[in-house]
Amino acid sequence: MNQCSILLQLQQLLNDSVPTRPLIDVLAPMSTLRAEYENGSASFLKQIDWLIARGFDRVRRTRGDGDCFYRSLGFAYVESLINSQDRDFAVASSLSKLESTKDTLDKAGIEKLVYEDFYEEFVSLIEGITKPDAQGLVLNSDRLLHAFQSPETSNAIVIYLRFLTSAQIRLNREDFEAFVVHPDTKEPMDVDSFCANVVQAMGKEAGEIASSTSIAMQVLIYDSVEDNVEMEALCRALQLNVDVAYLSGVRGDGVDFITFRHDTDSKAPPLTLLYRPGHYDILFKQAA
Amino acid sequence: MDARLRRVNKEIADCKNDKTSQIKIELIDESPFHLKGSFPGPEGTPYEGGNFEVDIVIPESYPFQPVKMKFITKVYHPNVSSASGAICLDILKDAWSPVLTLKSTLISLQSLLCSPEPNDPQDAEVAKHYMTSKSSFDDTATYWTQIYAGGPGPKDKRNKGSGVDRDEVAIAGLDKAHVDRFEQLGFQRSKVIDALRRLNYRGPNIAQISDDRVVEELLK
Repeated sequence: MNQCSILLQLQQLLNDSVPTRPLIDVLAPMSTLRAEYENGSASFLKQIDWLIARGFDRVRRTRGDGDCFYRSLGFAYVESLINSQDRDFAVASSLSKLESTKDTLDKAGIEKLVYEDFYEEFVSLIEGITKPDAQGLVLNSDRLLHAFQSPETSNAIVIYLRFLTSAQIRLNREDFEAFVVHPDTKEPMDVDSFCANVVQAMGKEAGEIASSTSIAMQVLIYDSVEDNVEMEALCRALQLNVDVAYLSGVRGDGVDFITFRHDTDSKAPPLTLLYRPGHYDILFKQAA
Repeated sequence: MDARLRRVNKEIADCKNDKTSQIKIELIDESPFHLKGSFPGPEGTPYEGGNFEVDIVIPESYPFQPVKMKFITKVYHPNVSSASGAICLDILKDAWSPVLTLKSTLISLQSLLCSPEPNDPQDAEVAKHYMTSKSSFDDTATYWTQIYAGGPGPKDKRNKGSGVDRDEVAIAGLDKAHVDRFEQLGFQRSKVIDALRRLNYRGPNIAQISDDRVVEELLK
């Protein structure tokens, strides 16, 4: 058997092993996640309890298909627009930001032909938040969930975010090249092959967050570039504030948060993701 | 219109409007999802002067899943099956990205012809030939280009004699003298060709293969 057919078989096995979880699931209480660890690691349980105690009481699970970082972030982003105080303003500024991302893609040499359909899908979803559709309905969280569960819309947004991340990294390579490593071997990798083979391909998970030794601080702020090139690049490209709660299973006394602050308003409430080694979900905090 | 169809239509139109790339994409039948691509063999390679046709099938979830491509034209190349035209190229498998198009993928096939990867072969026998004797491999690939892809044939023999007869010995990349010698032992010519090809009876390898070994292979 040559290497190609081995690769093909491995890919097939991976595809078959993806559970039938929806691409993005309904909002569920953290206790459902907790239940999965009840017979397992005590430190995971303590970390989940720590999050619940601080108001992070719900989670939206995503399918572990290698696109969960992009899908989680895309969903959380659009939902934050729906929930924003001034929806018209949020939608309008999001659309103008998106409009400018086309320029980023053009500069990075990504053909209009390959991105425009995905771009339009993303834009029409966001426009739908304030502009009623043919049935007179605007986009709410339920309809957003439905859209993100349909592979066509969901994958279009995932791939647009992947293109944007790739373009952002390649156009600012001096900021990123020192941190780019091969996802499996952790060996240094050149920016172009990293973008072509990891960032722009479907189903290739965004890098793992490096585990840290336990430090007696409850909230630790990492140097985010070192931790994750793709997250940093995407948060910059879309000007987002994002917090990632890192459920390492190592510390029992708290949860580390990795923070990205690229919104022009650094006080804007961050999108919150939950990271367990190899997987991202969306985390929700109860209203204060 | 469904997303796949919209994208494919744009790609076909884009390729038609591009006069510089030399890549062609045509419909085979009514379906926009089963196409035929073609490109000229790259200059300075044994494929120069040939026209190479590729069967293209666009899967349901294109462009999220890779396009399926295989050579229609027979190609003598380590990463192409000499029997089926199947291609071993990373972007057609796990390195696919929706950033790639039919045109850019066909251009990648064209550059695959320039730079074989014999260490990750699709056709193990052809790869062995390539690694044993590059010049003999080049002769065979040039001959295949001539008889299957309409190439001009070997540079030193051009315009001599009229037309080309299919020479099974040359197709197999073997030396006529070797085939003759074993045929004279009383074996069928086609069997001799098969056996010598399987044994990679070429260049410096010949010294490693005893006549007994060849006869043993012939008696299998």
